[in-house]
Amino acid sequence: MALLPGLVAACISLASPGLSQDRIQVVTTTTDLRSLTEAVGGDRVAAVSLAPANMDAEDYQPRPQDVLRLKNARLMVRVGLDYDLWADRLLAQAGKPEISRGGPGYVDASFAIAVLELRGMSVGPGDGHAHGSGNPHYWLDPKNAEIVTGSILEALARIDPENALRYEANRRAFLERLRARLAEWESKLAPLRAMPMVAFHNRWPYFARRFRLDFIGFIETKPGVPPGPAHLAGIVRTMQVRGARIVVREPQEPQRDVAFVARSAGASVVTLAASVGALPNTDDYIALFDANVAALTLAAGVQ
Amino acid sequence: MIEPVTFLLPAFLVAVCLVGIHVYFGIEVLTREVIFVDLALAQIAALGATVAFMLGHPPQGPATYGYSLGFTLAAAVLLAFTRGWATRVPQEALIGVIYVVAAAAAILLIDRAPQGAEHLKQILTGNILTSGWNEIAVVVPLYAAVGLLHWLLRRQLARSGILWEFVFYASFGVVVTSSVAIAGVLLVFSFLIVPAAIGVMFASSLPRQLVIGWVTGTVTSAAGLAVSFAFDLPTGAAMVCAFGLALAVAGLLYPFLHGNRNNALRVAIATVRWCAAVLLAGAALQLAVAPRADQPLLDTLETAFPSLRALYFNRSEAVTWAEAGETAERYRIEAERLNDLEMRNRSQGEALDDFSIGRMSSFLKSYGEMRKGEQFVMGEVRARARERIRWGASLTLLVLALLCAPLAWSRLRTGLPRRR
Repeated sequence: MALLPGLVAACISLASPGLSQDRIQVVTTTTDLRSLTEAVGGDRVAAVSLAPANMDAEDYQPRPQDVLRLKNARLMVRVGLDYDLWADRLLAQAGKPEISRGGPGYVDASFAIAVLELRGMSVGPGDGHAHGSGNPHYWLDPKNAEIVTGSILEALARIDPENALRYEANRRAFLERLRARLAEWESKLAPLRAMPMVAFHNRWPYFARRFRLDFIGFIETKPGVPPGPAHLAGIVRTMQVRGARIVVREPQEPQRDVAFVARSAGASVVTLAASVGALPNTDDYIALFDANVAALTLAAGVQ
Repeated sequence: MIEPVTFLLPAFLVAVCLVGIHVYFGIEVLTREVIFVDLALAQIAALGATVAFMLGHPPQGPATYGYSLGFTLAAAVLLAFTRGWATRVPQEALIGVIYVVAAAAAILLIDRAPQGAEHLKQILTGNILTSGWNEIAVVVPLYAAVGLLHWLLRRQLARSGILWEFVFYASFGVVVTSSVAIAGVLLVFSFLIVPAAIGVMFASSLPRQLVIGWVTGTVTSAAGLAVSFAFDLPTGAAMVCAFGLALAVAGLLYPFLHGNRNNALRVAIATVRWCAAVLLAGAALQLAVAPRADQPLLDTLETAFPSLRALYFNRSEAVTWAEAGETAERYRIEAERLNDLEMRNRSQGEALDDFSIGRMSSFLKSYGEMRKGEQFVMGEVRARARERIRWGASLTLLVLALLCAPLAWSRLRTGLPRRR
């Protein structure tokens, strides 16, 4: 019986092509936010991500069509925290106050997130990330999806109030699914607790905090600057002293530098996806964590 | 100090191999006046690899290498022919066009497959530090074969003719394709041009040019690697700067080794004095016109000798400056302490809840702001002190500049009475 309304809706949407154009056009800056927006909006939204999955969204260079996409959009969801600064220029070019900062269709998904590694713009050169406003990779903590989907729900309810209840139900169902999976992921990664690891780039603090992992160092300390020899030698020494056996790399990161460190320290390389779609079988937000958890447990030799 | 040596040895040996073949090609490239041909060939090879990648071949596979080689050979044909055309338009212009078009075509292709961008970047920006025995095993036989070929064909290659031009560019393309993937475009260009230029500068026969080039190239590579380890600098960039410095030193030494030594010394001293005078006069002008702006000379001196501030700060300024500095440092330490605590808590002890994390990040934000405030105070104190002393200090700097300038003071003094 519960299936019936869904089936009817499906038949209607198949029968009338006009309905698909009724869908709310949403632009997100990353694929992760697209997946979360789809989780809340369901079939009422048509979401498109500007930055493709398989590159660093931080370095994305907007295309001419992106302005057009924004002009047609009613909702804009971005990562914030200086991660997708290029979106500011695009929004200015599109010139739509409704989806610009302060407009009803503008969502800065970092709102209300407990930010990690906040170093004021001038607090020392520091290790890791050059972000003055904190580490921006907060979507890698599944718990933060609750806050992000909350912000998206609020905006969708604002621009499409008739369907607010539907969005809320979508979100609740998604979070229920996510919570169940989170418990499973946590138990799978429990044996890796405090197991020392090294990553190429400091993209994993939120992930590490949720799953209680210990990243003891990073190969690339400043984005885009090749690491110096003393730093690399230091990383290798720390790995040997602490017995780190895993080096985390993302598909777009240089293979040779990572392989060099892993070889020198006698560790193995595991390739993780930091964004939805960056690897095969990471087509949505939940699949992203499924794949990463599986890859990590395999590399650590625990099942 | 055994560890740095074992850590840097593979990279050094790779550098020696690269210097070995590139000095020879560098001398050839300098005589043919096709300085940027290596960039064009490397870019063409990268374009070939991109095409292979687009067709679905794995980045390190033999098919990709085949495409690279094919594109490089096609470019070699083109370069061999342009030698003949280069009567009214210099060949260097055509090389530039090949480079630009290959780079643009690669961008157009990559627009279709975003992950190709990283791939292309990896082809053109190798990291010599992470290269090792695998690379040596590939390049030693390859470079030996190319070297032998050139030695056997040395008579034919000296003559002009489209076939021999093609052989030259094709073998050079094969060398550059492999070396750029190992060391990156910038470093390969330095290997190619700098030692060869120094060799050509100090010798006229090919064997002596080669020996000078090999020795300077090897010594400079070793120095660049050592500096990069000692100061933890990106290795490729440090080595390129070392090569630039080597060329500058060679240029400075040249007049002393060839020509009138006394004259060279006199010119060198005059140049140094003029530079010092211009620097001091510029600093005087900057301080007088815009005392609140950056003062490059004064700032550098103050960083090197903080006690210089005592010369122009009054008592209360000195106290405010010191206090603000201490407070800023305290905020920094406090913020680092919180960050450390959070980092350790990720995997140790009882996990902090989101509320505590949120509180921590709001503390961190405040510490950052307060530290910036203290730094603003320090900047303001210094700017006001400088405003106060600007006329006196500029005048002093100007007098120093006049004293440094190699003006003929004695002639000025003897000239005055005569005019009267």
